[in-house]
Amino acid sequence: MANGTWRLARGRSNAQIPLAVVGVIAVLLILLGRAQPTLFDHARAYVSDRAAPVLSAVRLPVDAVGRWFSGAENVFALYQENVRLKEENAHLMEWQRTAQALDQRLKRYQLLLNVVPDPEVANITAHVIGRSSRPFLNTTILDAGKRNHVKPGEAVIDERGMIGRIFLAGDHTSWVILLTDLNSRIPVILQPGNIQAIMAGDNSGAPTLDISASGAQLKSGLHVATSGDGALLPAGLPVGTTYWDGTQFRVTLLADAGRSDDVRILDLKTRAEEPPAPTTGDLPVSAAGLAPLAPPPKSQNPTPAPSLRPALPAPVTIPPRPNAAPAPAPAAVPPDVDNQ
Amino acid sequence: MQERFGPSAIRLFAAFVPFGFGLIAAAIANFPVSLSGGILPTPMLAMMPVYFWCLVRPDLMPVWAAFLVGVAEDLLCGGPPGIWGAAFVACYAFVDRERDALAGLAGYGAILGFAAAMLVTGGTAYALVALYFVKLPPVAPLIAGFAVNIFWYIPALWLMNAVQRRVIGPLRSDI
Repeated sequence: MANGTWRLARGRSNAQIPLAVVGVIAVLLILLGRAQPTLFDHARAYVSDRAAPVLSAVRLPVDAVGRWFSGAENVFALYQENVRLKEENAHLMEWQRTAQALDQRLKRYQLLLNVVPDPEVANITAHVIGRSSRPFLNTTILDAGKRNHVKPGEAVIDERGMIGRIFLAGDHTSWVILLTDLNSRIPVILQPGNIQAIMAGDNSGAPTLDISASGAQLKSGLHVATSGDGALLPAGLPVGTTYWDGTQFRVTLLADAGRSDDVRILDLKTRAEEPPAPTTGDLPVSAAGLAPLAPPPKSQNPTPAPSLRPALPAPVTIPPRPNAAPAPAPAAVPPDVDNQ
Repeated sequence: MQERFGPSAIRLFAAFVPFGFGLIAAAIANFPVSLSGGILPTPMLAMMPVYFWCLVRPDLMPVWAAFLVGVAEDLLCGGPPGIWGAAFVACYAFVDRERDALAGLAGYGAILGFAAAMLVTGGTAYALVALYFVKLPPVAPLIAGFAVNIFWYIPALWLMNAVQRRVIGPLRSDI
C-alpha cells in the first residue's frame, strides 16, 4: 500500500511548461464548452448508441437481483399489503367516479364556452438502461432515440409524475436531464393560487423555487405542476409539493427517478406559433388612426413635413369562427364581476 | 519479449498501460448501472490511476495523459466539457509539486495523500462548476463522493501496485 515502495522515475519532473500549456488548453476547452454546450453531444450520443446493447444486457441481472430482493422483502408483509391495497382500491374507486363526473361536467362547460382544446400529446414508452449519479450531474439513459421520434426538450414522466427532460437524443438512446440536476430549470405553477415559478435543480434531492411574481404567498403543501409556458412542456404534468426547509421553499418530487424503470416520453404536438411578421398596420401610428410616414425620398429635395391629417382606418372584418354559437346579445357586465 | 516485439514496441505498450488504465477506469465509473441503486455516488475511478502513476512514474503519466483522461471523464459522464480535464490537471500540478512528501507516505498516510489530492481535484471541479453555472452546487454530494473514492482507493491501489509490479516493471526492465 505504500507509495514509497516504488523508486521515483524522477525526483521532480520538468513538467512545468507542459503543465502550463495543458492548463491553458483545459481553460480554453471549458470556455469553448460554455460557448457551445453541445460540443460533446455527438460523441456522447455515439457512445451511448453503441453501448446500448451492453447496457441493456448488464441491467437484466441487476434488475433481476433488485426484483428478487424487493420480492423477498414483500413476501413477509403480503397479507397486510393485500388488506391495504383493497382499502386503497375502494377509496380510489370512489375518486374515480368523482373524477369521471367532474370530467364530464368539464367537457360540457368547455363545449359551451368554445374552449380551445388541449394540445395533443403523443407519448413513447421507454426503458431506463442506465443512471449516472455524479457530484455535479444526475442523468438517466433511455433505450429510445431519434428512430423512435424522440427529440430534445421532451418531457419524461413515470407513473407518478415528471422526472426530467430529454437533453440529448442519439439514434437508439436518449439522455434525460433530471429535475434535480444543476442544469434543470422548468416553468411550473403552484396550486392553489396560480403562482408562477421556475423550478431549478441544484443536485440535491429537492429542487428550489424561484418565484417570478412579487408578493406571492407560498406555504408548504402546495401542488406543483408544469405550467406549459413556452409550449415546450405540456401543462399540468404533476411534479411535486412544496415544503419549507428552513431557508427556502423546495419541492418534494412525486416521481423517484432512481427507481423508475419504465417511463413515458411526451411529445407535445402543438408548438408555440411564430408571431406574424409586423405590417404597417401594426405600427402605433396606424393603430392610432394616423397614416404611417412615407419613406424618405431619394432625391436631393428637402423632406416635406408629414401630414397630420388623420387617415381613416380600413374597415376590419372579423370572420366567424367555424363552430361558434350565435353571439348573444350584449349584456351589461356588472362592475364586480371577477374576470378570472 | 524484446526479441519478438523490439524495445520501442515494449516501451510504447508499457507507456500506454497507465493511460489505458485511466481510460478504462473512466469507462467503468461511467457505466450507468449503479449497484447501490443510486444511493451512493459513483467513485471517481479515473482519478486513481492518474494520481498513482503521476506519483510513482510521472514519465508514464504525463500531464497531457492526465488531461485526456479527464476529458474522457467529461465526455462519458455527460457534464460540461473540460471540467474534470482541468481538475485532473490541477491534481497533477499538486502531485508534481508535493511528490517528495506524498511518495514517502505509507499505509494510512498513502490514503491520506490520495485524500489530499482528491480534495484538490474536487475543489477545483467545484469551483469550475460554480463559475460555469454561476451557482453554488451543494457540497454534500461532493463529500459523499470523497468518502466513496477513499473507500475504493484501497482495492484500486492494490490492483495498480500489482500492475506496476508485474506488468510495467518487467516490461520496462527488458528495455
